[in-house]
Order: sequence, then C-alpha cells, then structure tokens
Amino acid sequence: MAFAWKAAGLTYNRYLAVAARVVRRSLKEDKRIAAERRGEMELRFAKWENGKQGENRSLAKANEASVAEHSSS
Amino acid sequence: MLSRAARPVFKAGTAAAAARPVAIGATNAANYATLREIEGRLKSIRNIEKITKTMKIVASTKLTRAQRAMNESRNYGQTSQEVYEQAETKPLEGENKKLIIVCSSDKGLCGGIHSGLSRKIRALLQQNANFDLVILGEKCKAQLVRSSPKSIVLSFAGIGKDVPTFADASAIADQVSLLPTEYSSVQVLYNKFINATSYEPTFIDAFSEDAITQSPNFAAYEIEDETLPNLREYSLANSLYWALAEGHACEQSARRNAMENASSNASDMIGKFQILYNRTRQAVITGELVEIITGAAASADA
Repeated sequence: MAFAWKAAGLTYNRYLAVAARVVRRSLKEDKRIAAERRGEMELRFAKWENGKQGENRSLAKANEASVAEHSSS
Repeated sequence: MLSRAARPVFKAGTAAAAARPVAIGATNAANYATLREIEGRLKSIRNIEKITKTMKIVASTKLTRAQRAMNESRNYGQTSQEVYEQAETKPLEGENKKLIIVCSSDKGLCGGIHSGLSRKIRALLQQNANFDLVILGEKCKAQLVRSSPKSIVLSFAGIGKDVPTFADASAIADQVSLLPTEYSSVQVLYNKFINATSYEPTFIDAFSEDAITQSPNFAAYEIEDETLPNLREYSLANSLYWALAEGHACEQSARRNAMENASSNASDMIGKFQILYNRTRQAVITGELVEIITGAAASADA
C-alpha cells in the first residue's frame, strides 16, 4: 500500500478534510476564524430502504464512525 | 409559512374585486359592513407586501455572494472535468445501475426551480427506471417521495442555509462512495444558471473507475492504479461542489424574482383595494347626505 491514510481506512476526501483542517488551524487568529467558517458542515442524512426513510443522523458523526470502523478492521 | 397564510387572503381579495360592482350597487347597510372588511384586507395585504419586499432584499444581498461562490466553484468543477475531456471519457453503458444525485435545497418560496429538477427525474424514470437516487435537500425529497420512493437510497438535509462549502461536498461524496451498490456511472443533476431569470436542469458526469480506464485517450496520462480511486472520489466532490454552488445561486436568484413578483402583485392589489375603499366610502357619505336632506325637506314641509 502506497498510502498510509488509505491503510488507516480514510477516503481521499476525508484525508483532504483532515489536511485542510490542520492548515486552517495553523493560520493566524484573525484569518483563522474566517477560514474555519469555510470548513463547517452541518448536514444531516438518512438512509432509505424500500421506500422508507431511515433515521436522520448527523453526517459528520457518521463519517467519523465509518472511519473508526474501517480502521479497526 | 407566508405562502400558506397569504393564499386565503389573496383568494378573498380577488373574489372581492370581482364582486365590486355588486358591492357598490348594494344597500347602505351592506356598505357599512364591506367598508370595514375592505380596510382589514388592505391592512393584511400591506403587511404581506412588506414581508415579501424584505425577503426580496435579503435574497438580493445573498445573491451577490452566491454568484461569486458560483463563479469560483465553476472553475473548480470545469478544471476537474478537463481531464476527462482530454481523455475522452464516456460513461459506460453497462448493465449496472446508474446513480443520480439531485441537488436541491431545504427552502422553498423560490418559484419552480425544485419542481424543475423533480420533473426531469420523473421524465427519466418513465423512460428507464434502472437508477437510484441520492437527494440533497428537503424540497426535492418531498416531491420525489410521492412518485418514486423505492429509488431513493440516501437523502441529505441542512443544505441551502448558507453558501455551500467544499466540506459539505466532500462529506456528501464520502457518504455516496460508501454506498454498497456498484454503479456504472454517477450523475449530478443541478440547476444550470443561464441568466438571472432562466435555469435549466443539467447533468454533470462523475465517472466510475472502469469508465476512466476504458476511455480512448487514457494512455496520454500516467496514472497508477492506486491513485485512480482517489481521482474518482475527488472529482465527485468537485462536481458536487460545483453543482451545489450553482444550484444555490439559482435558488437565490429565483427567490429574488419570486419575491419581486409577489411584491408587485401585492401593490397592484393594494391599488385596486384603495380605489374600492374610497368609492365605497364616498357612496356611504352620499347615501347619508341624501337621507339627511330628504329628512330635512320632509320636516320643513310639515
């Protein structure tokens, strides 16, 4: 495996998000607040099965959970 | 919330406007009652006009920001599509299912842009039902749940509060790429911004790995097998970001137009009601004068 993050169960987009967060956090105070607003995400999502809507869950939490699941396996 | 509250009033308004000649010709007792009714309606229409005007101003200010975001995101999306154009990638016509991602939003009061997307999906469903849907935004979800609940695999909410960010797009792309089914191609349906008054539901292709490797000009690029899934995921996020930002700009501009129309309708109606109100008041005064004069003449004779 060429990519350590792939072995850790991250997708490329997740890897990008983590890298972007690190860059944003290392900015100066005044620039950082504006930049961190661009990284916010408050989506909710639901899975559907046979025409029925599942539970509404926070997307950020679900993505973290899936990462944890992949890395443990 | 506004539309539902406003509709009965509008209906009542048109009904009263149609009944105007009858109201004027009616007896004085009836005129007293209608005068107060007209006043009440005038007041409520004035309030509605104020609300729609404010919403129009809010939408206009949001529109400039949304348009800037749209132009920036268009560069992103088109640059990432450039690779596929050069490689002449075509979507595979396989047996596998297709996936369509519909980019609408959570908020209404913006004319028919959400139903435009839904109509496009319904038309596609009638030709060929072999695709699944991922729906972004409550509005399209509510419309498509009625016609084709079985096709929906994922739905997202919370879109359209603000200008969409790349974090939104990449989180959605992540969740889409985690879907268990293998799709032969992924398409993103969004409202293309043509000008301030016209939009068109358009597709962006996001290709699968097989489609990329089978593209005719693929040899022009040196890509290792391991990086290919990354490219696919990243370009899906790029396309989604483009679609979300452009859809957001369309929505704001549509809302601005819708609110402008609502305000001008309200001011039309205010004009009509004002005239009706003045005439009725005049009629009541004339009626009273006639009564007084005839009364005075009768008592003078006696």
